[in-house]
Amino acid sequence: MNSVVSDETLHAFIDGELDVAEREALTVRMQSDAELVRRVCAMRSLRDMVKLAYAEPPPAPSSSVPARTHKIMTQRCALGCLVLFAGLAAGWVLRGVEATHLAIATPFATGVMHDPALQPVSLAHTPDPDRVILHLDNAAPGKMLAVLDEAERLLDAAEQQGRTLQLEVLANSHGLTLLRAGHSPYAVRIARMQQRHANLQWVACSQTIARFTAEGQKVELLPAARTAPTAIGEIVTRLQQGWTYVRV
Amino acid sequence: MTMIHCTLFGLTRTRIESLRPVLYRIAYAWCHDAADADDLVQDSLSKAWTQRAQLRETEALKAWAVAIMHRCWIDHLRARRDFDNVDDWENTLESPADPPDVSCNREQVIACVRTAIARLPMGQRQVLTLVDLEEFGYAEVAQILDIPVGTVMSRLSRARAGLKTMMDRVMQQAADRPALRRVK
Repeated sequence: MNSVVSDETLHAFIDGELDVAEREALTVRMQSDAELVRRVCAMRSLRDMVKLAYAEPPPAPSSSVPARTHKIMTQRCALGCLVLFAGLAAGWVLRGVEATHLAIATPFATGVMHDPALQPVSLAHTPDPDRVILHLDNAAPGKMLAVLDEAERLLDAAEQQGRTLQLEVLANSHGLTLLRAGHSPYAVRIARMQQRHANLQWVACSQTIARFTAEGQKVELLPAARTAPTAIGEIVTRLQQGWTYVRV
Repeated sequence: MTMIHCTLFGLTRTRIESLRPVLYRIAYAWCHDAADADDLVQDSLSKAWTQRAQLRETEALKAWAVAIMHRCWIDHLRARRDFDNVDDWENTLESPADPPDVSCNREQVIACVRTAIARLPMGQRQVLTLVDLEEFGYAEVAQILDIPVGTVMSRLSRARAGLKTMMDRVMQQAADRPALRRVK
């Protein structure tokens, strides 16, 4: 397939409407065709912009306006509680579980996580296997390793199946250690992963950085990492965008 | 739980009412007027309630409700604009909004995208919003709007191309004419 790929085909690709064979062919071609990657990227960002433009439509002018704002607040609170609950539940289930058991066994092969210890949280009806955010908030060596193992496993699985996986690793609280230059035990591995996977992002919580800084520590991040204003904000935004959230 | 509930009691008012935010988002993307969108949603929800016996499988609830809203919207347009045939509005209806480059040389992307989408012909606008906002599959969109899948794909393609052209022009203008700089 050396001809120019049509816009229709690329649209079907980003909307997940191609069958496995077509998708694979296109993914292979994208590896050597920078122009194609650029077009796909532009289409994706246009789609994200459309989504963002209507994420919060102006409230309806009916008499129920205060009620509606109230409802939005309630929704936000409910979402917060959901995230908190998921975190608590995961923590509870994980107590005493050895770190080696933690990794998810090819979680999305059937579209769901197999290990009940790692519950994906998603606002969508079925969790999106192609957009995943992994959240790390503590510095236990087992946890850090688990995040990296999990990330690589997901990316490899996606590569084998010809899916384009967008993966974000979010670190806050003591989990930030993973992304700190000079402190991270896995700096080399992170740099290597970053080189291999274009759709992998490392995100650090700015509030955590500020807190460490206030304690007199100098925080320098690995070159691969970017910052988000707050970890919880990042999680909520991603969930609203339809991402699947997994707390490790 | 909801499944048991549904088999026992059928579709409840709360279940239908819970679709309101989703429908409102789509309705707003179609007509770009909060009051119109609210009316349209209200209309659709009450139709959905009276026609609830027609819903076969509860999984398809959202698509079914959107299809109802689509029919309400056509009725609404017919009543308002008196179009001779449906193809006409699908291909020609554009909002009277200013072109995006006029109204958002330095404003946020959001307002800009909305204006650009408001400029798309209605048929394209509907397909684009259903695919992008609610992530309906092409086949589902075809069913909701009652058009062939091929038409869904070509409208989507034209909508995205049109949107990109408008957005590119805006970005170009923004680059040519730098926004006011903060002095402080």
